[in-house]
Amino acid sequence: MRFSYSWLTEHLKTNAHFEEIEKKLTSIGLEVEDIQDTGKAYQDFIVGQVLEEKKHPNADKLKLCKVDIGKEKVDVVCGAPNVEKGMKVVYAPVGSTIPVNQMKIKAAKIRGVESYGMMCSEYELGISNEHDGIIRLEEKETIGRSFSEIYGLNDIVIEIGITPNRQDCLGVKGIARDLASAGMGELLERKISREKGSFKSPIKIEIQDNKICSAFAGRYFRNVKNTESPEWLKNKLKSIGLRPISALVDITNFVMYDENRPLHVYDADKIDGKIIVRSANDGESFLALDEKDYHLKNGMCVIADEKKVLGLGGIMGGESTGCSFETKNVLLESALFDEINTAKTGRNLSILSDARYRFERGIDPNSTLKGIDLATQLILEICGGECSEVELAGYIKENKNEVSTSSSYISRRLGFEVSDKELISIVSSLGIETSQTGDVIKCLIPSWRQDIHGEADISEEVIRIKGYENIPTSNIRLKSKINKNILNYAQKKLMKARHFIASIEYDELVTFSFTDSKNCEVFGDINKLKIVNPISEDLDILRPNLLPNLLQAIKKNKNRNFDSFSIFEIGSQYRSTSPEDQLNVACGIKSGIKTKKSWKNIQTEFDIYDVKQDLTSLIDYLMPGNKKISVSNDCPSWYHPGRSGSIKINNSGIAGYFGELHPRVASQFKIKNKINIFELYLDELPNTEKKTTNKPVLNLSDFQIVTRDFAFVIDKKVKSEEVVTSAFKVDKELIRNVEIFDLFEDDSLGKDKKSIAIKVTLQSNEKTLAENDISEISSKIIESVEKSTSGTVRS
Amino acid sequence: MKDFRELETEIKKASDKFTNIESINEFRIKFLGKKGIISLEMKELASLSGDERKQHAEKLNKIKDTVLEIIASKTEELNSEELEKKLNSETLDITLSTSKSYGTIHPISQVIEEVITIFGDLDFFVAEGPEVETDYNNFTALNTSEHHPARQMHDTFYVETETDGMPNVLRTHTSPVQIRSMLKQKPPIRLIAPGKTFRCDNDQTHSPMFHQVEGLVIDQESNMSHLKGCLEIFLKTFFETDKLNMRFRPSHFPFTEPSAEVDIGYTKKGNQLIIGEGEDWLEILGCGMVHPNVLENVNINSNEYQGYAFGMGIERLAMLKYGISDLRTFFDSDLRWNKHYGFSPLNIPSIIGDLS
Repeated sequence: MRFSYSWLTEHLKTNAHFEEIEKKLTSIGLEVEDIQDTGKAYQDFIVGQVLEEKKHPNADKLKLCKVDIGKEKVDVVCGAPNVEKGMKVVYAPVGSTIPVNQMKIKAAKIRGVESYGMMCSEYELGISNEHDGIIRLEEKETIGRSFSEIYGLNDIVIEIGITPNRQDCLGVKGIARDLASAGMGELLERKISREKGSFKSPIKIEIQDNKICSAFAGRYFRNVKNTESPEWLKNKLKSIGLRPISALVDITNFVMYDENRPLHVYDADKIDGKIIVRSANDGESFLALDEKDYHLKNGMCVIADEKKVLGLGGIMGGESTGCSFETKNVLLESALFDEINTAKTGRNLSILSDARYRFERGIDPNSTLKGIDLATQLILEICGGECSEVELAGYIKENKNEVSTSSSYISRRLGFEVSDKELISIVSSLGIETSQTGDVIKCLIPSWRQDIHGEADISEEVIRIKGYENIPTSNIRLKSKINKNILNYAQKKLMKARHFIASIEYDELVTFSFTDSKNCEVFGDINKLKIVNPISEDLDILRPNLLPNLLQAIKKNKNRNFDSFSIFEIGSQYRSTSPEDQLNVACGIKSGIKTKKSWKNIQTEFDIYDVKQDLTSLIDYLMPGNKKISVSNDCPSWYHPGRSGSIKINNSGIAGYFGELHPRVASQFKIKNKINIFELYLDELPNTEKKTTNKPVLNLSDFQIVTRDFAFVIDKKVKSEEVVTSAFKVDKELIRNVEIFDLFEDDSLGKDKKSIAIKVTLQSNEKTLAENDISEISSKIIESVEKSTSGTVRS
Repeated sequence: MKDFRELETEIKKASDKFTNIESINEFRIKFLGKKGIISLEMKELASLSGDERKQHAEKLNKIKDTVLEIIASKTEELNSEELEKKLNSETLDITLSTSKSYGTIHPISQVIEEVITIFGDLDFFVAEGPEVETDYNNFTALNTSEHHPARQMHDTFYVETETDGMPNVLRTHTSPVQIRSMLKQKPPIRLIAPGKTFRCDNDQTHSPMFHQVEGLVIDQESNMSHLKGCLEIFLKTFFETDKLNMRFRPSHFPFTEPSAEVDIGYTKKGNQLIIGEGEDWLEILGCGMVHPNVLENVNINSNEYQGYAFGMGIERLAMLKYGISDLRTFFDSDLRWNKHYGFSPLNIPSIIGDLS
């Protein structure tokens, strides 16, 4: 909401400094967002008159002018096509600053001719977009007069943010009223003469649906002359950024911004028969004042005559009955439209208008007739003519809320003592009438405040007017804890996972929860993930997996010359757009160069064993202690089928995957690198929350440790892990560790064969193992491995 | 009687010629070996008798000790020399190096963990809710009816699923977690709810996805002064400053009454923002006393219980604290940015150690 300081003082008698008012506005909840001291910005610009105008010797499009600026006559080079001798212009002297581009005017030679100052267009002065020529002031203007006086710019324009509850401050008067309540002065009542009208309006009004419009007041004016508005009115509207149109339209805008009372004027000669306020018929359409055709639906409030739709009630008028300079007879409308219906219609048709903005926030019903009176006075004064009696259809409801409260309630909520006296004094200053019975204070809320419904609202009024700076500060530390845990098991797991993964060289990324449905079929059912109104075409679904965005990130960074990637994200992915279909996943990618070629190392690249190690060590970190991790080949289709594995813990559901990205998916994302991925479904990890702080019992043996190496030739198809597990199970007590230390593949072994070498560590808790103990267990190991792998030991 | 002077001279002579460990060994064998001079003399002692044997034994033992001493000290000397020689040949070029890279924690995660740490210390637990929400939880239960003008200020993303005939939304704020939590738990309640939020807005200062943290306290006495106290501790701790100019000013949120926006003072020194000091104001969060209608919507008696709620933007906190200038860079995945603004994984925010 914009208004000028001079406009405010028409409603507020105050001795306060502007700075005080500015601070007070913010402190009572009318946050000052911008202040423009236009007087200051325009103080250098004055009226000049062109005395001579001739062609520039060196440039066809430039002219040499001699300009009289009162105290002297100056030479100005000008490029405007409309400059001519005798014209009164706006002159910007040397040293002044052009508002639109902050250019400082200097004395300069333009194509070899000295020029002192500049003649300005409205565009250059930041008043409008008019830049085809310089401003032509009226003949009568005095040379040397300040330009800002002429345009009414000698003022301060204030822009405040109005929160949705403060519908009462969408007019300058309401702002003045609130400032007066807060001790900034006295509210002035505008003197409005109440014309009774000399005849009955020839246009009758019928409300067919009083739910969408409870009251409609109309007044007929005959023989008016719609002209340009007088300077004071034009300047007022210009000062708050509105474009003057014609007196009739400008008057309705003025009343709207002054009294927060939207009005409408119809060219009465274009109305067929009577005015009918009704719900639209499906399929009806109408051309609004914004020159757009709207298709209406049942339920929308229209103002119609007997033949056609004239306007959308409370939102926008129509072209067909719009007022022009030819308009002779006028119907003035001041109505009460339903808030919700206005909001709904406006939203459905995507029309934003000042009227809609006000009606959907609620209009003071008492402004209905006041608005007619103020507009009548201005129309008769500016446009002449005669007015009819006011024709009122429907009923103007009183709409005064009643709220009972007490000073103890208010004190308890605000955190400091508010006495009955103080409470009553503050609410009274807001125009709230009170009556007290015992501790109960009954408040009768004035019609302009539609946001006060309950005691809590009264508490806000009290602290707003008293000032939020008066709220004391209290300690919130409690004597005894109310929450057993700050983080639950799942939350701790997530945080631990994040730190662990970053500790093994991954950079954490946070990417959008949206992604591009293209290329995502492989990751999930994209039809279940659609966003109805996406921000852009390529962010049209909720992500079925963390990978697509991470792959995009790799592509982007590859273009930034990165050749080694270790990135991860922990976040949600979605099975569908139902609230419960959200999963917590940790997804990491290692790709490209693992160790750079250097004086010490040869270059190596990441492979799936890097991400497998990362994944299993992550699981180990999150679930310390004994667990069985098993790996199998059943991976989803975004993995390379031969180079990926799924991980199960303790034989429960699949907890994660690791492997290489399927080449087909990689090429869809236009990525050439091998992408090694791990995914951990954090919600699927079995809960291993500690039940005791004790660690498991530690049994240490001091007897000698023995190691023995074995090599087996087995089919390539047989998993190496089989060799390890079948050796392990021979003696769970003596065998402390089994490790693969060599993998060898060569045709000399036989086709489709490989050799796996294991190192077995043996130790007893009871004695030093003797040679025969060792050879006994060795032959058992050989037997067990040969049996379960169908392989043979290499001697 | 033998005086072994000759032997002593010989030992002295031999001991001056040591050049390496082998020569010491020869020396040892010559005198102390099985057939060494001293050993043979020792054997001869058996043939002597009485005083003479005693005296010879004493003398011989002394000489033996001298030999052992010589061996020990000369060995030590030679070893040292050898080590010295070895060390001189074993130099590495210490200007060469290998590099180790570390991963980073994203600033959003860092700030969320800092916020949790501070509020955890004040006994707020961490609550959660889904990112796809019902219209009811996101708006209606929070006293924002279907046609409330405040809804237009939230540019809401809609999805195709519905709950109770209303399309589900991507939550526009973390406030629906208040509703979910209050339905699950009776007062007293102290919680924060950090998480992702979404609005259909994308420009220099808006991202369609961003993060918020919600706070909620419901009990029998918490009031505006506690709200002020709570935010003062938080902001001072978070910005790691003892000085904090803080300003409450009236605002409006449908789910709080009275509502306030909180500004903190700042000054600019060059390119640096100094938070806490100064007369210029930065808006940092919104808050207020929970609206009685919200409590009634979750079956909490608003005559008995009251409390406050607040919400703030994680990115904004991160930008102000860490001097990050552009909101959109958070989600840009530019690794140069991540490596620059990211945090060490070993840097876990702590109240007793460092917060950041």
